[in-house]
Amino acid sequence: MTALLDSAALDQAGDTGTTPIRLVRAEFMKLRSTSAGWAFLAGFIVFTAMALAISGFGSHHELYPEPGLASRAQELAQAAQAHSPAGVAAIAAGMMTSGQRIGFIFALLLGALVLTSEFANQTAAVTFVTVPRRTTVVMAKVAAAACCGGLFWLVGTVIAAVTTTLFLYSQHVSASLAGWAVTRSVLLNLLAFVAWGIFGLGLGAVLRNQMASVIGALAVYAGSFGAELVFTALYNLFHQGWMLGAPVIAPAVASEVMITSGPAFPYAPPGWVGGVIMIGYTVALVAGGIALTNRRDVI
Amino acid sequence: MVVLLAVVVIGGLVLLARRGRGGTRTDRARTDGTGPGLDDRPFGGRRVSPALMSQGRIDVRGLTKEYRGVRAVDDLSFTVEPGRVTGFLGPNGAGKTTTLRMLLDLVEPTAGTATIGGVRYADLDQPIRRVGAVLEAGAAHKDRTGRDHLRIVCQSAGIPLARADEVLELVGLGVAAKRTFRGYSLGMRQRLGVAAALLGDPQVLILDEPANGLDPEGIRWMRDLLRTLAAQGRTVLVSSHLLGEMAQLADDLVIVAAGRLAAQGTVASVIGSMTYPSRTLVRTPEPEKLAAVLGRGAVITPGGDGGAYVTGADAAAIGDAALRAGVAIHQLVTQLPDLEAAFLELTAGKAAIR
Repeated sequence: MTALLDSAALDQAGDTGTTPIRLVRAEFMKLRSTSAGWAFLAGFIVFTAMALAISGFGSHHELYPEPGLASRAQELAQAAQAHSPAGVAAIAAGMMTSGQRIGFIFALLLGALVLTSEFANQTAAVTFVTVPRRTTVVMAKVAAAACCGGLFWLVGTVIAAVTTTLFLYSQHVSASLAGWAVTRSVLLNLLAFVAWGIFGLGLGAVLRNQMASVIGALAVYAGSFGAELVFTALYNLFHQGWMLGAPVIAPAVASEVMITSGPAFPYAPPGWVGGVIMIGYTVALVAGGIALTNRRDVI
Repeated sequence: MVVLLAVVVIGGLVLLARRGRGGTRTDRARTDGTGPGLDDRPFGGRRVSPALMSQGRIDVRGLTKEYRGVRAVDDLSFTVEPGRVTGFLGPNGAGKTTTLRMLLDLVEPTAGTATIGGVRYADLDQPIRRVGAVLEAGAAHKDRTGRDHLRIVCQSAGIPLARADEVLELVGLGVAAKRTFRGYSLGMRQRLGVAAALLGDPQVLILDEPANGLDPEGIRWMRDLLRTLAAQGRTVLVSSHLLGEMAQLADDLVIVAAGRLAAQGTVASVIGSMTYPSRTLVRTPEPEKLAAVLGRGAVITPGGDGGAYVTGADAAAIGDAALRAGVAIHQLVTQLPDLEAAFLELTAGKAAIR
């Protein structure tokens, strides 16, 4: 029993104690040590590959239209347009960011699981006993969720870059993937992935229940696209001009507006409005989540 | 918008970094010699310095927790001393777990305070290097290995990850270290909980029902471990509703019923304070004759199996009286009030479901 007194590990330890970096690394250990995180990454890769295949198929038809209902002259004009430098750049940008809508859902759900899984698996008590500063714990989780979003973005972008390069080569066209149009799309995509990861974390922190958070996250994401229908119907009733741009208040529409280079939908407000709204939701959810996590008892 | 996000992220990081630095400053103050920190862990023997004694003392004062009008814990006050095993006893639903969770800052008290060495748990510098807690046997992710579970705690607290392997060996889980928690028996889960509590080599141990689900060998192991830890000068507070186990393990008792303190003191003093008197079991073929010679002070109650219980006269008086009257005695046993009797008397009528 004297072993209880002697610990080589503790005696050799230098500066022990919790630091933000150590906490964030602990969050990554949590994610790595269970299958859920890996399953999300695998699912994300599968969906990205599927989205790329669909996008590549569409792009091929844009470049080489098959004889169809449209007149041959129209087809040739369309193909010429697609073959122009701007056309090829647009195709490249489209492929580089294809699958993002599905990808955001993965970042959102994984973010939602980061905190709620602690309660679902009864590890929350261990976590908060180890580090009783709950704001710090939640902030470390915010950083982890943001990094997960960033990781999804990185993996998705690398897969897309390789696939797009091979696709363009196979179609006998060339476009620089380092051009501003592509770079802009890819960087805005990073912002959106990170924002969705934090959004999910914040939603999970507010709701705390895992099932409620997953359903809530999916409802918010899918429901956002219903906002357009709702506001179009309202416009038809009341004819207020602002109503046509109003769907941007729905989170997924805001993110869409943010990442789309042109208008995301007719009468859509400029991209920065979407960005501000998305960041606003994220900050509000995290702030609310921290306040509630500090107030709630861990039972 | 990139700028906005950057501002938010940088702001958050600055906040985190400032908190981190604050912590380190205090550490330095400690090691500079302004107070006995954990570096001077001297638990080599039974003698503990007064300063460390006060650091390890658990002090609960007027602790109250109300859930929707029900007082789970009601104005509870007690003290737990270092160097001793203190049993925290009560029927199910008496408020034991809620009290321990308030002590660990997991549950916010409605009123009152709970401190360790005079400091609230949340205000401790490196809490798990001062206090180790075993909360519930099911408190790890099912898909995670026992080793990963401990390494995550190490990483969060800034303890070297190698410490996880040390405590796994210590609790006898070395061979199961890389198995997932799902495959652990209840006894193994309890051991993992104890391992987690010992990670920081803490001065204070708080264990909620650690003997639940343990087999006899496991219970003996737990008893030896807790006794050793207390002998090293550590504070050991262990909740249980297993009375027999407590009678063998604890030095002191805190008994709660319906959220209120029912008794506190050494095991002997709690039992001794009982109004429940000692009684003597007598087996004799002539109980009526014996009753006649015992005198007025003694009361004989027939037992179920041919014996009779005598109160008001001890074994010597009964033996002498029987000899004088020529009554044969087949058996004469003094029965002292035990912890179970004391417990039942103290908590009688305080139903578990409120």
